[in-house]
Amino acid sequence: MTMLTIDNLHAEIDGKPILKGLTLQVNAGEIHAIMGPNGAGKSTLGYVLGGRPGYEVTEGSVTFDGEDLLDKEPHERAAAGVFLGFQYPVEIPGVSNVQFLRESLNAQRAVRGEKPLSGAEFLKVARAQADALGLQQDMLKRPVNVGFSGGEKKRNEMVQMGIIDPKFAILDETDSGLDIDALRVVGDGINRIMRRPDKAVLLITHYQRLLDYVRPDRVHVLADGRITRSGGAELAHQLEREGYAEVAA
Amino acid sequence: MSVLDLPSNREEAWRWADLGGIAAAAALAPVARSEAQFLDLPGAKLLFVDGELDQGASELHRVSVGAIAPGDHPLGRRAARGWTLRLDARAVADPVQIVHVATGAENHLGAAIELGDDSVAQVIEGFVGAGWSNRSTSVRLGRGARLSRAVRLTQAAGFVSLRDEIVLGEAASFVGTVLAAGDQGARVDAALTLAGEGGYAEFGGALLTRDRLKQECAVRVRHAEPNGQSHQLWRAVAAGQSQASLAAAVEVARHAQKTDGEQSLRGLLLDRTATVNLKPELEIFADDVKCAHGATVGELDARALFYMQSRGIPAARARALLTHAFVADALDRIADETVRAAFAADAAAWLERAL
Ligand SMILES: Nc1ncnc2c1ncn2[C@@H]1O[C@H](COP(=O)(O)OP(=O)(O)O)[C@@H](O)[C@H]1O
Ligand SMILES: [Mg+2]
Repeated sequence: MTMLTIDNLHAEIDGKPILKGLTLQVNAGEIHAIMGPNGAGKSTLGYVLGGRPGYEVTEGSVTFDGEDLLDKEPHERAAAGVFLGFQYPVEIPGVSNVQFLRESLNAQRAVRGEKPLSGAEFLKVARAQADALGLQQDMLKRPVNVGFSGGEKKRNEMVQMGIIDPKFAILDETDSGLDIDALRVVGDGINRIMRRPDKAVLLITHYQRLLDYVRPDRVHVLADGRITRSGGAELAHQLEREGYAEVAA
Repeated sequence: MSVLDLPSNREEAWRWADLGGIAAAAALAPVARSEAQFLDLPGAKLLFVDGELDQGASELHRVSVGAIAPGDHPLGRRAARGWTLRLDARAVADPVQIVHVATGAENHLGAAIELGDDSVAQVIEGFVGAGWSNRSTSVRLGRGARLSRAVRLTQAAGFVSLRDEIVLGEAASFVGTVLAAGDQGARVDAALTLAGEGGYAEFGGALLTRDRLKQECAVRVRHAEPNGQSHQLWRAVAAGQSQASLAAAVEVARHAQKTDGEQSLRGLLLDRTATVNLKPELEIFADDVKCAHGATVGELDARALFYMQSRGIPAARARALLTHAFVADALDRIADETVRAAFAADAAAWLERAL
């Protein structure tokens, strides 16, 4: 079943066209990798799907679960099941991880007509996810991402994904800044949380190495704001060997 | 003395004062008496309605009410009566709670707090209702005496002006916090003098303004003797077309070596139409001192807002969380948990209304 349909998407920042007719379809149960050179528009795609202000869609459409995604506010997209893992997770001084995540989860539950989780119920869920991703418990009490190393920030993104348990995740270079052990932990986390028949993932990455842990069903090359090539998992290996310039052209 | 007999904005110390707001508040028509709410704490509870003690609703304990020396401050001198808390050496008092209810027009009230050596007191004041509430408080702390005072302004309209004159003896400690989280204008005017060696003073808080209100604090801390420490941590949040102003001065006398003075003034504009004025001032005549000051004005972090929204938090709630975090360190200085929670709740209620 189709979960996400992106059709001829054009988007610009400050009047500068970045996405130039991007078309992509993701079915439930699938993991798609998006690879491409720096500046190709990979993060822009993530932000446009998340609804970041300043990223203006000028043409095309995005349908998620049969509904117009672009019509929704960013928090409504989250409640609909979309999760955006940030390439550069943001620091929020003065707001603890626990408070942030409990607010997030309960705000989403409210939109879906579900009861809020109590502090104790929430902590149980949060602790289990932190353990599974090797994030120290005391980091849950610290302000969001403040003083976290690059790797800790990425683990924290995955802890958030585990707690929120989304239907669809866009993970923007979640593998960058991770050493090989952390890469395995994060890869296992993605498989555990998202590898399900009713879920799907867009895995934005620069390197083949994350794909050794999270096997993609499809691989796409994004270059100059468009998908220029698509294929199976073997395409990622070809890209690694031959470079984007050759393969994407 | 008429309302018109006010200082002028041409005087530097009154530059940001909303004198028109005071006159307008004094002219407010009578309103119904709003309910006074005391926190669940032991100790004295005083209810003043338009500056008059409501005997039936009050429990005075160690506090007395009567004539008071008016002083010479242009606003403060209007108060000829007030309440007094006098503690003997080594006394430890239960908290003193005071609720000031205004029902329109103007009211004036003084206060004197005199703590003997090594005595300890805590004062919590709140302002509700509408009108011009004008207060003049004089504090004298003996050697090693400790006072904490927390004041919250949550009037629905009008103006609250506070004049505090605080003198700390040797090794005395004063921790003062002010929260303006109502729909009234405000002027917090304070002079603190560390008159004995090794005094410790913290004076700070948060001004939350919206609509066309003007709130300001004008605080001067004077280190007259060596080894003193002072911290002024103020946060100003301005929405709509409001104006919040923070002027904080530290003065270190030639003789007051080893002084440690800190000022942190920060402003947050919730709308581009709002104004925050900051004026940190250091006047240092001693040579061996440590004085740090920082003053910045900014807006909410757009990246943090989007990050929170992308996790499901609606925009208004995200703004409230970030704004609350911005003022939190000023209110966290309140040591008493019950008081701190009440102040945090007032700030949260303001954010609900303003955002
Ligand atoms: N805030 C911005 N303002 C202007 N241009 C931007 C902004 N963010 C990204 N860009 C431009 O958009 C293009 C795509 O960037 P991005 O989506 O981050 O690429 P990728 O993630 O593939 O490396 C780049 O040319 C970049 O310079
Ligand atoms: Mg990128």
